[in-house]
Amino acid sequence: MTRAIWILAMAALFVSVACSDQPTNAGSERTLTLRLTTPHPDDGALTFQLSGPVIDSVSAANGSLQLFTRRVDGATIVGAVVGPLADGAIVTLHVPDVGAAAGYTATVLEVADRADAVRASLAGYALNVIR
Amino acid sequence: MRISILVLLALIGAAPAVAQSPTAGSWQAAMQRLRRAPLLGPARARSIIVESEPNDTIATADSVGFGDRAVGVIDPLRDVDNWFVDLTAGQLFSVDVDAAVDGSLLDATLVLVAPDGRTVLAFNDDFDGFDSRISFRVFASGRYYVKVSSFGRSQGSPQSTYAINFGAVTCSGAGTEREPNDAPGTATPIAIGDSGTGEICPVVERPTGDVDYWGFTAQAGIMVDLQVDASASLVADPTVRLFAGDGTLLVFNDNFLGAGSRLQFSIPVTGTYYVAVADAAGFADPFPYTLHVRDIAPGPGDPITVRARDLSVPLGLAVGNTGDLFVAELTGSRIVRITPDGAKTTFATGIPNPLSLAFDASGQLLVTSVDGAVYRVTPQGQAARFITDAIFPIWVAVGPDGRIWVTDLGDRSLRRYSATGQFETRFDGIILGGFGPGPLAIGPSGDPYVSVGSEIWRLRNGQFERVVRDQLVIWAFAFDVAGNIYVPAPTGGSIKLFDSTGAVLADPFALGPDAPQAVAFGRDRTGAMLPRLFATDPQIGQVFEVNPAAVLHPGLPGYVTPPFSARAAADGLLGAGGLTDADLQYLDAVGNHNGRYDVGDLRAYLRVLQGSNR
Repeated sequence: MTRAIWILAMAALFVSVACSDQPTNAGSERTLTLRLTTPHPDDGALTFQLSGPVIDSVSAANGSLQLFTRRVDGATIVGAVVGPLADGAIVTLHVPDVGAAAGYTATVLEVADRADAVRASLAGYALNVIR
Repeated sequence: MRISILVLLALIGAAPAVAQSPTAGSWQAAMQRLRRAPLLGPARARSIIVESEPNDTIATADSVGFGDRAVGVIDPLRDVDNWFVDLTAGQLFSVDVDAAVDGSLLDATLVLVAPDGRTVLAFNDDFDGFDSRISFRVFASGRYYVKVSSFGRSQGSPQSTYAINFGAVTCSGAGTEREPNDAPGTATPIAIGDSGTGEICPVVERPTGDVDYWGFTAQAGIMVDLQVDASASLVADPTVRLFAGDGTLLVFNDNFLGAGSRLQFSIPVTGTYYVAVADAAGFADPFPYTLHVRDIAPGPGDPITVRARDLSVPLGLAVGNTGDLFVAELTGSRIVRITPDGAKTTFATGIPNPLSLAFDASGQLLVTSVDGAVYRVTPQGQAARFITDAIFPIWVAVGPDGRIWVTDLGDRSLRRYSATGQFETRFDGIILGGFGPGPLAIGPSGDPYVSVGSEIWRLRNGQFERVVRDQLVIWAFAFDVAGNIYVPAPTGGSIKLFDSTGAVLADPFALGPDAPQAVAFGRDRTGAMLPRLFATDPQIGQVFEVNPAAVLHPGLPGYVTPPFSARAAADGLLGAGGLTDADLQYLDAVGNHNGRYDVGDLRAYLRVLQGSNR
């Protein structure tokens, strides 16, 4: 491959990525899922902390959820997910290495029900990062 | 316009016969007094008809004849009973409901509809006590319809029974007048500051025409204001005359505004004076009326300046964050926007008989409606039903935390909702006596204050405490930043000023052009509160401003939309800072009120922002 072809190929790739719906993630093979386990059927919002290997970006797992995040440091993100929560995927992680899923640690910090009241106990809640 | 006034009276009849005996101290007392008055009766009934449901529409109306007596029940909630009767041109027709007087739970309203099935000819809510009557001379032969329902269509139960008489009235004296009172020597006494009710009898009863005399004593130098309000009847055209004690006619008025009559006179000599109320034609149909006798010495807030005219019964008033006035046109069923330079435009339509206005936490306008809902209007003027679980929400206010407070005449409660319209709790207002809770405002502490008639009560820590006690019925008041309370007293034709403890600072503070009903402080174009006070005067369709030089302080700001985004709110929750202590308190107040800002509060705030399209 000549230098010129290499530059054109990179340019084409850049355009391709820039036009994608997921600019920080070239394909589903590079996403992980933050999965919630909850003992309640009426969760309305939660905050969480996520630590581990590099995460390029995060997004809500579906259109009914709103996600806000803040990067605390290179290895930790805190976030809030608001919406009708249930057992299952709540956040999609865009990562460079999906093989490192086991290296992530996720914790539920606080949960509110759909009447905006904060749960007195977090017993039964769990977050797991899965492929 | 005449119809408008009728509907207003229906509502003020919420203000229950309000006007009828202000010095009695409460609306209940007025009711009791009225109920002791002799009742008018129709001609002897030929037969008794029992309603046959369904009769909720003109098409399914039950048949009765002139002279019949019928019975029915308003059940279930919002039930309407329709009756029809065939009448001939020139016939004097009276329809009279007996319900509350017989122990029924029903507070009845009556509507008389023309043969076309649509045109409302007359309306009445409270004629004798809570019971209704319409008297009407028929212009054309045909089938006429009578609608019976509960006031505000807020009632309905097996106990809401009524009897209704279709016929001709015999005039034996109703309200607070004492017949015979056709001459000064038999005048019914009335005090300055009070209101009296009576009826001009039909010519068939009094061939020479009925005249009601009222007598009062007055001190030299005062200016008395005599107003006859007969707007509950479309056929009424009263006149008013003032005589000196020796019978000398001092002043006369007919048709001060519309068909109502009003005059003002400076009393030259201390002594007894007589007011004569009569029909302009001298031989026309009977009609009930209310006579207001007022002392109209001006206050520091005079002279007033009219800022808008030709409104269709303007009742509720709110000021937007650019200084525009928003007015609820009760019978126009629209919200009118009035710019600081007086330009009027329609802001919103589609809200039946809007009553009160308040801006919510998202900057949208909340509107209570006679149809039982609180509407929310977007900044673009799109209205939608918002709070629908109240029975008859009459007034609305928004607290500094964004919470929404509503007074419900249906169950006489004060109800609290979250900033996003979720019901939170209710407080029983029946225990307060009077006839409220009615008009509502938020005080400097953030506590709601309600009028229950001639008193204002404050809800603090879940307990009501009385703040103001007055002689006149109090309508929609407003606070300045110092806690002073500007109180419209429509039966007195004035606005009064109280301090935060309920002590009178100025009485009157200002005189309305007629009967000021709701007040609100102005804002400048940036939304900053101003020491300018505006008021609505429904009966003459005006909005006016009191003399700004006399307004002590700017108004209480009330709710101010927080200046931060969802992102900022979330960052604050996630430890990024950026929010002040006041912001955090606000967010907690919008949400779950547990004393700290948490994820439940963020959830609530996002709904607030979604509502405002921010």
